[in-house]
Amino acid sequence: MPQLDTSTWLVTIIAMILTLFILIQLKFHKYSYPLSPAPKTFKSTSFPTPWETKWTKFYSPLLLPQQ
Amino acid sequence: MNENLFSSFITPTMMGLPIVILIIMFPTLLFPTPTRLINNRLVSAQQWLAQLILKQMMMMHSPKGRTWALMLISLIMFIGSTNLLGLLPHSFTPTTQLSMNLGMAIPLWAGAVITGFRYKTKASLAHFLPQGTPVPLIPMLVIIETISLFIQPMALAVRLTANITAGHLLMHLIGGAALALISISPTTALITFIILILLTILEFAVALIQAYVFTLLVSLYLHDNT
Repeated sequence: MPQLDTSTWLVTIIAMILTLFILIQLKFHKYSYPLSPAPKTFKSTSFPTPWETKWTKFYSPLLLPQQ
Repeated sequence: MNENLFSSFITPTMMGLPIVILIIMFPTLLFPTPTRLINNRLVSAQQWLAQLILKQMMMMHSPKGRTWALMLISLIMFIGSTNLLGLLPHSFTPTTQLSMNLGMAIPLWAGAVITGFRYKTKASLAHFLPQGTPVPLIPMLVIIETISLFIQPMALAVRLTANITAGHLLMHLIGGAALALISISPTTALITFIILILLTILEFAVALIQAYVFTLLVSLYLHDNT
């Protein structure tokens, strides 16, 4: 059986290692599967100060107690 | 007759140069690298196929096992494309070589087993003793499980080699018989030719199935060990 002739085994194994572990993987690692484009949620960089998180009173100059 | 029948399995060298290297590297030419966001039809079709295979195969693995995704998809594509190219007339099929299949099976199996030993030592050693065995049977069962563990890479390699080699041999023999029968009895030659067509269809299926089985078993050994 020609498959049992071990003189060619080294060449075959080295060629296979090169192809399987390097060449083919170089082709497949470039495959990208991007998600469909969607709007990104905004993250505000400024944080509301504690007294601004609750809108408890309505301040307008004409509604202030008149002096 | 023996010399002629097995001659397609001799590793090709042309005037002393091992062109088997070029033959093994040839399937990589059939998978172009994607360079754009939206690619041409060939690359898109291959990406779709790769995604289909990956989703099916990697679903059952833990995150640690999923790090092997690139390796497994490369394996199944390489074996599948090599087997399919081998169905062309007068071509050489590298997967008929026991050397190449042993070179694929042993490192992948050893990688999975060693990963299991490193990260889950107790669990991977526990595989040697199935649950619920009666106490007197334990020594014999450990020996049997050890043998069955070490036979896994051999079985992987020999399974692939034998299946592809046997298919190719059958096609050679039946094709030769059909050719020889034409001058003797055309009806029998026609029947033999129909058998040859059916066998070729079978060989297409076998080419893909063997790639799948190889990869699936490696994936299974990985699952046991991650």
